[in-house]
Amino acid sequence: MSTQHSASDSAKHRHRHEGPGKHIVAFIFSIVLTLIAFAAVMAGEVNKTFTYIIIIVMAVLQVIVQLAYWMHMKDRGHLMPIIFLFGGALIGFTAIIMAVYWVWW
Amino acid sequence: MSSHAEHLDGQLPHEPEKATLEGRNKVLGFWLFLGGESVLFGTLFATFLALRDQIAEGKPGTELFQLPTVALATFILLTSSLTSVFATQALHRHNVKAMINWLIVTVILGLGFLGLEIYEFFEYVHEGHKFTTSAFSSSFYTLVGFHGAHVAFGVVWIGILIAQIFKKGLTVVTAPKIYVAGIYWHFIDVVWVFIFTVVYLMGKVG
Repeated sequence: MSTQHSASDSAKHRHRHEGPGKHIVAFIFSIVLTLIAFAAVMAGEVNKTFTYIIIIVMAVLQVIVQLAYWMHMKDRGHLMPIIFLFGGALIGFTAIIMAVYWVWW
Repeated sequence: MSSHAEHLDGQLPHEPEKATLEGRNKVLGFWLFLGGESVLFGTLFATFLALRDQIAEGKPGTELFQLPTVALATFILLTSSLTSVFATQALHRHNVKAMINWLIVTVILGLGFLGLEIYEFFEYVHEGHKFTTSAFSSSFYTLVGFHGAHVAFGVVWIGILIAQIFKKGLTVVTAPKIYVAGIYWHFIDVVWVFIFTVVYLMGKVG
């Protein structure tokens, strides 16, 4: 890497390439959250509502980690992507609430 | 390799996928597409959640689902998401060789995931859980199958991109395609987080 950069002009030195570090941390986070969710279900014989809450919280945390780091949403210039994706997700969740409401209540 | 990389480094800006207006538009347009994909999967999840207890003559999820297989598939897909972000980082370093290697690893892991899913579906059909068995089985195969089809599409797409990089190299035209394919692959992984939670884990709890 360094040899490539020393050859190029000084403007190149203004930016720094990110290392793999934070992505490996995000990966480990995802693995741990997944393990907790699977363990909570495989343990069995625990309160059902409690298990539901654990696995849903683990899923939400993992999605936040992945959106922020792997899909670069925490980087600047990502306002429109956030609006697009959350707009779609909002309609999706509305559909879920509607379907569950119609069928179960 | 190194002389090739230096040549590229002299020409390409730091983020070649955003160097041209066309590239920036491709990335932005792709996010709009992912918004539409969220609606698609949202409606499939809605159908599944509404119908998941209507098992008719079939087996319920509590008996059907084999969590070790699902856990293995989850770890394979998670790892492929990591290798895909490494490919994007290699793209930003203009390291074509590393980028192609990480993309190849991503494709192989994607194929592994697909193999597990096909095996899993075969097992279920064997146990009498067919597409038309019940409302539960239909909505299950539609939701999980749609995700599997997205993985299959991603594998073919990234495979073609690898071939194109070999032919045309890394340029401001090819870079947005690689970047966008990476975003797509992460999105597939995010959808899977919801699937293993809502379909398999909640299905196993009952």
